[in-house]
Amino acid sequence: MRLNPIVKKDIRVQARSMKIAWGLFAYEAIMALVFFLAMSVFQVENSYGGTNIYSQIVMLYPMLAVTQIVILVVVVPVITASSISGEKERQTFDIMMTTSMTPFSIIAGKVTTAMIQGLFFVIAAMPIMALAFVIGGLSWAYLLWFLLIAMLVSLFSASIGICCSALCKKSIVSVIMSYGIYVVFVVMTCLPNILYLLFGYGSGSDPLTIGMFVVLLFYLLNPVYYLVEFFMWTMTGISGAYEMFSEIYDDLSLKIPFNASVWHYGWMTISTLLFLLVSFLFLLLAAKKINPISKGRARKLVQQQMQREMHG
Amino acid sequence: MLQINHLYKNYGKFPAVQDLNLHIPRGDLFGFVGPNGAGKTTTIRMVCGLMLPTAGSIAINGVDALTNLREIKKQIGYVPDFFGVYDNLKVKEYMDFYGSMYRMNSFEVEKIMNDLLELVNLSDKKEVYVDTLSRGMKQRLCVARCLIHNPALLILDEPSSGLDPRARVEMKELLQNLKGMGKTIIISSHILSELSEMCNSIGIMNHGKLVTAGKIEDVMGSVFGSNRMIINVSSDMEMAERMVKEQAGIRVESVGEKEIRIVHSLSEQEIAQMIARMIGSGVIVTGFHQQEGSLETLFMQLTGGESGDET
Repeated sequence: MRLNPIVKKDIRVQARSMKIAWGLFAYEAIMALVFFLAMSVFQVENSYGGTNIYSQIVMLYPMLAVTQIVILVVVVPVITASSISGEKERQTFDIMMTTSMTPFSIIAGKVTTAMIQGLFFVIAAMPIMALAFVIGGLSWAYLLWFLLIAMLVSLFSASIGICCSALCKKSIVSVIMSYGIYVVFVVMTCLPNILYLLFGYGSGSDPLTIGMFVVLLFYLLNPVYYLVEFFMWTMTGISGAYEMFSEIYDDLSLKIPFNASVWHYGWMTISTLLFLLVSFLFLLLAAKKINPISKGRARKLVQQQMQREMHG
Repeated sequence: MLQINHLYKNYGKFPAVQDLNLHIPRGDLFGFVGPNGAGKTTTIRMVCGLMLPTAGSIAINGVDALTNLREIKKQIGYVPDFFGVYDNLKVKEYMDFYGSMYRMNSFEVEKIMNDLLELVNLSDKKEVYVDTLSRGMKQRLCVARCLIHNPALLILDEPSSGLDPRARVEMKELLQNLKGMGKTIIISSHILSELSEMCNSIGIMNHGKLVTAGKIEDVMGSVFGSNRMIINVSSDMEMAERMVKEQAGIRVESVGEKEIRIVHSLSEQEIAQMIARMIGSGVIVTGFHQQEGSLETLFMQLTGGESGDET
């Protein structure tokens, strides 16, 4: 398989810079800080409550995992948001666009680089994460699940970042815009639910109806809810989606079909596919934006030219 | 090689390029000149597929550039006016990167890279980081980079800007070598003296329009004609000037310390007779010859005296 030249070049360039070393240092330092904070909390609880510290160590997993996801959400858009605008600022973008690389492969290369960089961090923190599995007794499969979730978060964040980078001329503007889009995703997917509860309930109708069912589906695209569902199931075996929808089924005096496990895996699968689709759309938009001569516009111009020649 | 027909580009209501028609034959070294804002870079960017024209067509080797962009990109090597570099990338890695962007494998790149670095005189810099090279070296590396996929058409936007005199000479030699290899080269530049030495054809743009284009000697001839003369006089300048002015069909352009520049509509015989009369009257005529126009004069005349930074 042929490696995207941009990935090869960017990884090589970044591996030689001090940025990556300092980045890893900062990442590990944050993880160590969270680890020691968690351990001190466990120790205090253990000395007062007399509980077994080993049973509490399992809680390291969600704490460290959420910390890592938050760092990825913050860092990955910064990497991609400055990738296209950075090439423009460096004035290497035009040269890139005159080569045989398609705009989509340029975008894909930049996003892959950001994902690999994100995974560098995640994999470097694996030994600390593994403590929760060795001592806490969690299944090793959850570590793999976490890696996949981290990859999805990286892809989603990177695609938002690259799209903003293609739209903006300045790197700083695209970074701010990326965070803005993230916030919009979190807020906008909650908004139908909030509006329904406010106005649907106020108008006298029962909020727990089919309308509510539809409204809750918006959470499929909520990045925060996605993580809540994942960690809740991992740690307690309870599916948030199952709980939400079983209330609606109860209200409609119906029995909820399937068990919690089906609801959880179904929800996670659909949500993952939707995030992949949205990421792909962001990538397409970015590729379209950086393409100076799209096929459609060029064809239209040629047609106009032919019409002009025919008429005169 | 390059055929441009009725090319237009508007930025909003501002017409950057208007009805540009240009044909550059294979193997030409074409100098593209014009004052700042004349539309040269806009035209170059449209030819390279970096900008969509408002109207018109561009064909390279008979292939339409708008509808076959992927094919066209293989035939073009582009050197922009500003050379951006990546930190922490060595010369050989830089070449390998751009080679792989043309879908060449490392073996193919390695094979051609050595020849290209030798051509641009950078063979001993293969292991050196690009950002440590001098500006002249970077510019030569950029030319080597644009040759990596063996394009037929090279487009260089201000290749000598910001270079020291030595680097300019090296760049000029490099371009002449490439012309000798049969490449078609388009150079946009402000340094007209260099262009007149290197190029065999030119195009002058002003206010988005192509004022003139063609072989340098044809363009010069069409503008200056062959009716300009310089008469060198070493004594009795006043009498010489009076005699020239008295001759019908002659207009005196300027009178210097030891030369008179004239524009005439006389035959060669009539000119010879007038010179003979001047010598017969005691004026010492040390020489007389056809006045040849320079690219600078041509440029100033055709662009109405508007000059760029370095004209």
